[in-house]
Amino acid sequence: MSYSRRIWTIYSKELIDILRDRRTLIAMIVVPIVLYPLLMLGSIQAVSFQGARLSRSSFTIGVIDDQHRVRLANMISNDAAVLDVLRDRLDPDSEEAKALPTPITAAKTREAFGSLAELERALQNREITVGVIFKDDRLIGLPNYDQQVPVDIYADVEDVRSAHAASRIEALIGRVNEQMRAGRLAREQLPPTFFQPFKVDVVDLSSPPSILGQILPLILILMTITGAIYPAIDLTAGERERGTLESLMVCPVPVIDLVVGKFLVVTTVAIMGATLNLASVTATVYAGGFDQIMAKTGGAIPVGTLLLILLCLIPFAVLMSAIMIAVCSYARTFKEAQNYVTPVILAVLIPGGIAALPTTRLDGIMLVMPVGNMVLLARDLLMGAVVPLWILAMVLISTLLYAGTAVVVAATVFGQESVVFADSGSLKSVFRRSLIKPVQFPSLSMGLLVVALLFPTWFFVQSIFSPGPGEDATGLLYRTGYLMPILFVLIPMALLAYWKTDIAESLALRLPSPRYLIAGVLVGVSAWIPTHELNFLQAAIVGVPETVSKSAAIMGETIKALPPWTAIVLIALVPAVCEELLFRGFFLSSLSVTGRKWVAVGISATVFGVFHFLIFRFAVTTAMGVLLGYLCWQSRSIVPGMIAHLLHNTLGVVATVKPTLFEHIGIATNGDAGHLPMMVIVVGVAVLLVALALMRRPESTQSRILVYA
Amino acid sequence: MDMVVVNNLVKSFPTPTGVDKRAVDGLSFRVSAGQIYGLLGPNGAGKTTTLRMLSGLMSATSGSAAIAGHDVTAEPMEVKRSLGFLTANTGLYLRLTARETLAYFGQLCGLDPEQARRRGEELIAELSLSDFADLRCGALSTGQRQRVNIARALVADPPVLIMDEPTLGLDVLSNRHMLAHIRRARDNGKTIILSTHYLDEAEAMCDQIGLLHEGRFVAEGDLQTLRELSGEERLSNIFLKLIHADEAVGAEPQ
Repeated sequence: MSYSRRIWTIYSKELIDILRDRRTLIAMIVVPIVLYPLLMLGSIQAVSFQGARLSRSSFTIGVIDDQHRVRLANMISNDAAVLDVLRDRLDPDSEEAKALPTPITAAKTREAFGSLAELERALQNREITVGVIFKDDRLIGLPNYDQQVPVDIYADVEDVRSAHAASRIEALIGRVNEQMRAGRLAREQLPPTFFQPFKVDVVDLSSPPSILGQILPLILILMTITGAIYPAIDLTAGERERGTLESLMVCPVPVIDLVVGKFLVVTTVAIMGATLNLASVTATVYAGGFDQIMAKTGGAIPVGTLLLILLCLIPFAVLMSAIMIAVCSYARTFKEAQNYVTPVILAVLIPGGIAALPTTRLDGIMLVMPVGNMVLLARDLLMGAVVPLWILAMVLISTLLYAGTAVVVAATVFGQESVVFADSGSLKSVFRRSLIKPVQFPSLSMGLLVVALLFPTWFFVQSIFSPGPGEDATGLLYRTGYLMPILFVLIPMALLAYWKTDIAESLALRLPSPRYLIAGVLVGVSAWIPTHELNFLQAAIVGVPETVSKSAAIMGETIKALPPWTAIVLIALVPAVCEELLFRGFFLSSLSVTGRKWVAVGISATVFGVFHFLIFRFAVTTAMGVLLGYLCWQSRSIVPGMIAHLLHNTLGVVATVKPTLFEHIGIATNGDAGHLPMMVIVVGVAVLLVALALMRRPESTQSRILVYA
Repeated sequence: MDMVVVNNLVKSFPTPTGVDKRAVDGLSFRVSAGQIYGLLGPNGAGKTTTLRMLSGLMSATSGSAAIAGHDVTAEPMEVKRSLGFLTANTGLYLRLTARETLAYFGQLCGLDPEQARRRGEELIAELSLSDFADLRCGALSTGQRQRVNIARALVADPPVLIMDEPTLGLDVLSNRHMLAHIRRARDNGKTIILSTHYLDEAEAMCDQIGLLHEGRFVAEGDLQTLRELSGEERLSNIFLKLIHADEAVGAEPQ
């Protein structure tokens, strides 16, 4: 049976199965359809109810002079009378009538306090809601034109009632001011605009869905997770609990296919759930007339934006479903799975929450932060920001890398006999070293897991040590020089040792046949020619971003300033050894379980390309990765690739430090290098072809291991 | 021809004490085509573990096993293609109908949708499932579920059937049905390994018997051999005698 048909069989059965479950339907359809209108109506009504209650609520005003008290009481009652007259004149349904302020009707003014300190104490003890201090006694009579009476309003702004009272008194005094001014202008027969040379109107230019843009991504993320949880548990732990897993596992179907089918179902349900949730929110907003309310606070949601949000949700749903499937695969029962899911949700909400902070930006480590990068991307898109292609690629590629890893881990765990059968030892036995059987190669899940964890780590290392303005890249070079052997070599080797993996086999520590050594040398001296042309081609098509040429220039200056041997060690030797051991040794051998040479070489090369964190160099590094991966696969040894890598990078250093050497053959080594001379290209390609011919025949499996672990 | 060959099979489990427990301790036996082999023994004797290793659900600690000529460790997919597996607590997808279940497993075993559908119809007719073939499995009785289950195990028409306590929890009528189906499968040329602790049932059904106790065979052979070996007539007495437990529990009155 073909792969795709098998996956389809599993997928369609699981989808029918899960959609027939009442609990899924409730979680997916009933909850959003009922919950959101209720929630929205509820919260909006609660807010307006609260507002209405506050404006009707009574409050107590404190003063420090009884004359002030009388004056204030007069102000309040006059204001109410004026507002009443105005209201009577207007149609009660008109917009103007609705816009009229509510007069203060339920305020009591307390007997005057002896001093300001007493008033402050009373305010702190909540005996009064607000204090009003006229700072000048002249207000007892009408102030003259040249006089202004300062008024201090004392309030505890953290107390809603106090803050509300203060703002209403402020508004009241504003209206009194306005009335007095109008009266005086009328007496002097001046136009009402006399004292207002400027009229201010605030024009809000913030992009329409600002508030929604901040909150919606987080809400949708929660919805998507909620959608994924139930099916993920049901299709893994549920299967185990109901006793159907055994009959499934005795079918002649690889476990990974079962897991992939289930994962696709969870993703589908999560996306369907998120879509329904989104539709329900939108319908509630429009049907409930809340779009007008929202228009005041930030604007309605255009349909295009909705589609954009949905598109952002798909990779997120993929990642969450993969994580949920992986986590639930450890569980034997529904209950156990629920226990595992809770910390995962929290772990997801933390980066999600950080990303939802308005100050967080989509750069640095956030670019590769699982979940967080999706939230930020969704937010930026919602805000109408232009997201550069490389950032989009970074977010999507890292998300897919994490999701793929989670699926493969799930497949490994799902079939574990200690998980399938409760009676064959506890889960701990998966990690108990004495029970681990020695194996030749690391498993696919181990390879992917290590790479997926190294990816953000390495990105973080690169970004914190990247040169600041005015700095050169010496610090970056030295630090990555120390860290690369630890992260790329020591950690994977420690894991290999713990899992009793044959380190020499896994890292291909073999003495290669001479023909591969020659091939390695030939690749090392010739690969720069096609990669140079590839770079040139790419630059001609998409151009060179300024940041790239700038950082290349900084790197060039740094290399020139370093002692030549140091430069070669840091730029050529360390990466040649460490990157080969990680990507061609550890990772490629974990991929070799797929049994397909080009799949393994292709994936390891792509990941090698992604690890350079520059979309601009992606094509070149990936092409190099294919070449080096093929060399290692054919020779079954890490050494030829190391030699090729070392020579290739060394030539780069030499070209930077001694450009004159290259100028002899007509190659400009500065930033805007042109085509190489045709002769050089012909020779280079010919040498590369010879190298490829040398590695055409794969090394026999009997070859000698270099190191005995 | 031997359809099942088991050679010195061992399975040990880790225990909290640190001393591994040998659930199956060096088992060897062969089953020829068209026979019912009974793996008998009390609870905890290692029957289920043995059957799980044979079906590739568990890996053996040491030793080897082959089904229809395929090594369990080296060719797990071939082994899975050659066998049907059924246990007492095998569940069904409660939200699928019997018909859908058969079609699904048929396709998983490599039939195309049309073949799987036709094979499902055949089994529904053969095992008289038509009364409830379109009900969801969640609505079926235990006996009906077990009949659907046996149809599921037969869906790819495998040469070998492994049945772990297939009659556990069935009422008299369903029990009859199940035993009849097993016999019919044998008559159709299937090789069957049956584990049970109902010794009377085994006495009536099995061509060869392995008496398992604490992970080892105490005796193996056809009923006649076992009778001669022990000097007892009934299988339950033979068994008690052979594990030297008859003195402890007191001989059953003849």
